[in-house]
Amino acid sequence: MSLVIDLVLAISLVVLAWQTLIGRSLFRGLVMFVVFGLTLAMIWARLGSPDLAMAEAAIGTGVTGAMLMVAYWRLRRAVPEAAEERVPRRPLLAATIGVLAAVLVAAIGLTTLSVLGPGGVAGYALAEALPETGLGNPITGVLVVFRNLDTLLEVAVLLAAYVGARAAMGEDSAALPLPPAQDAPLVGALVAVLVPLGLLVALYLFKAGSQDPGGAFQAGAMLAALAVVLMLAGRLRPAPEPGVWMGFALIVGTAVFSLIGVAVMAWGQPLLAIPGMWAVYVIEAAMMVSIGVTLALLFSGSAGLGVRSRS
Amino acid sequence: MMVLTWLAYALLVAGALFYLAGTVGLLRFPDALSRLHALTKADNVGLLLICLGLGILSQSPRQALLLLLIWLLALTAATVSAHLIARRALEDSAEGRSALNDLSGEPGP
Amino acid sequence: MLLPAIVLFLILNLLVGLWRIYRGPTAADRMLSALLFGSTTVAILLLLSEWQQQPALKVAAMIFAMLAAVISIAFVALQQGIKTGATGAVDDGTEP
Repeated sequence: MSLVIDLVLAISLVVLAWQTLIGRSLFRGLVMFVVFGLTLAMIWARLGSPDLAMAEAAIGTGVTGAMLMVAYWRLRRAVPEAAEERVPRRPLLAATIGVLAAVLVAAIGLTTLSVLGPGGVAGYALAEALPETGLGNPITGVLVVFRNLDTLLEVAVLLAAYVGARAAMGEDSAALPLPPAQDAPLVGALVAVLVPLGLLVALYLFKAGSQDPGGAFQAGAMLAALAVVLMLAGRLRPAPEPGVWMGFALIVGTAVFSLIGVAVMAWGQPLLAIPGMWAVYVIEAAMMVSIGVTLALLFSGSAGLGVRSRS
Repeated sequence: MMVLTWLAYALLVAGALFYLAGTVGLLRFPDALSRLHALTKADNVGLLLICLGLGILSQSPRQALLLLLIWLLALTAATVSAHLIARRALEDSAEGRSALNDLSGEPGP
Repeated sequence: MLLPAIVLFLILNLLVGLWRIYRGPTAADRMLSALLFGSTTVAILLLLSEWQQQPALKVAAMIFAMLAAVISIAFVALQQGIKTGATGAVDDGTEP
């Protein structure tokens, strides 16, 4: 039965990906992509990765879905005929790429089948080393302690992506509006319920990340989703100037991580050796803030965010 | 407790049937508003039955409370979403627009 | 044995419902299908959480339940923007 479920999920993922890319209607592809994200979350759940399912939930539903909708709207305003354009068909090229991709996936799949499972060498070493760090969640252990160079570079890449996006906008940075703020009464009530609760959930994800599934990425993505809701409801608005706190929030993740990683060398430790649980919490908190703010600013496309008071 | 387990299973099956009803409505009803009507039944009642069934199966008050919270959140979000989409669908159609105009007029007698 | 059967049933429900996204005809139709699938995903994640004995999946389901409304709000903002041509906040360098 589980094999049937997994097969159905895998096939639907491919079908959804195909439907996202093919077809005349961009909006239809957009909705298919949202469902693709939902199916992906189910697959993460079937693979036993609650962390990834949570991350997919927060990013795919809260941030990317709304971001694509706003991008679609901006496209329709700017170039009305592009939204309903036919995708040019190149069957030979598509078939070639498809076959190559299938070969690649098959190769990776066969390789991973022959690799030992969690009882293998790396998993064994991880299980041995994890209790010394005081962490209970092996994923957080790998992300923050054992392979933290990757995580540091990921946060830096996120920052670079934001800087690159702003640079690409250039002179057009003033021409990126948001769709009209939704002032309907129910939206206000939903925001009043959702945002405080969402904050609690984000803080829970952050705190739980050390022992249970969760962590800085999920918490940061949740914060970004809350900022997106506030922007759509008109409580937050894009601002042309970043302000001191916004700039600080953007860089604090990369900065704190690098700082701690370099400072430990003064005590004779190797680069990026984590000195203790307090360092894990500090780094995760800084990353959470940076990830949340960067994703929110990528959604609004602006330099900063300002509060719009209800007048 | 065998009786409770069977009750939980019955609730789960009933919830799944509501989701089926929602999908059937989604595919067979003639326009957006009636489809919305169908799927909100699945959303609210179907999820409630599944949460109840899982709450019984989990045999842990903490998990059951979490399930209740999830259902309440889904209820709130689905209510607002359905309302917003319905309003948008109404404004798309001519008779919907006139109905909206009537509703926003003076209070009735 | 019942739990995976219900999971499979709900997944098939979702797949069959994809047809509504394909056909439309209006954007609202596609959007409300996405709404149904969001709720189906919540149910499936809850069932998987019980079947696989992974309580953290319930938290993932909660996040889905909370954030499903975000896309709906974005959708109606988009539709309203298309209809009226209005814009909301603009980052245009002017002070509030």
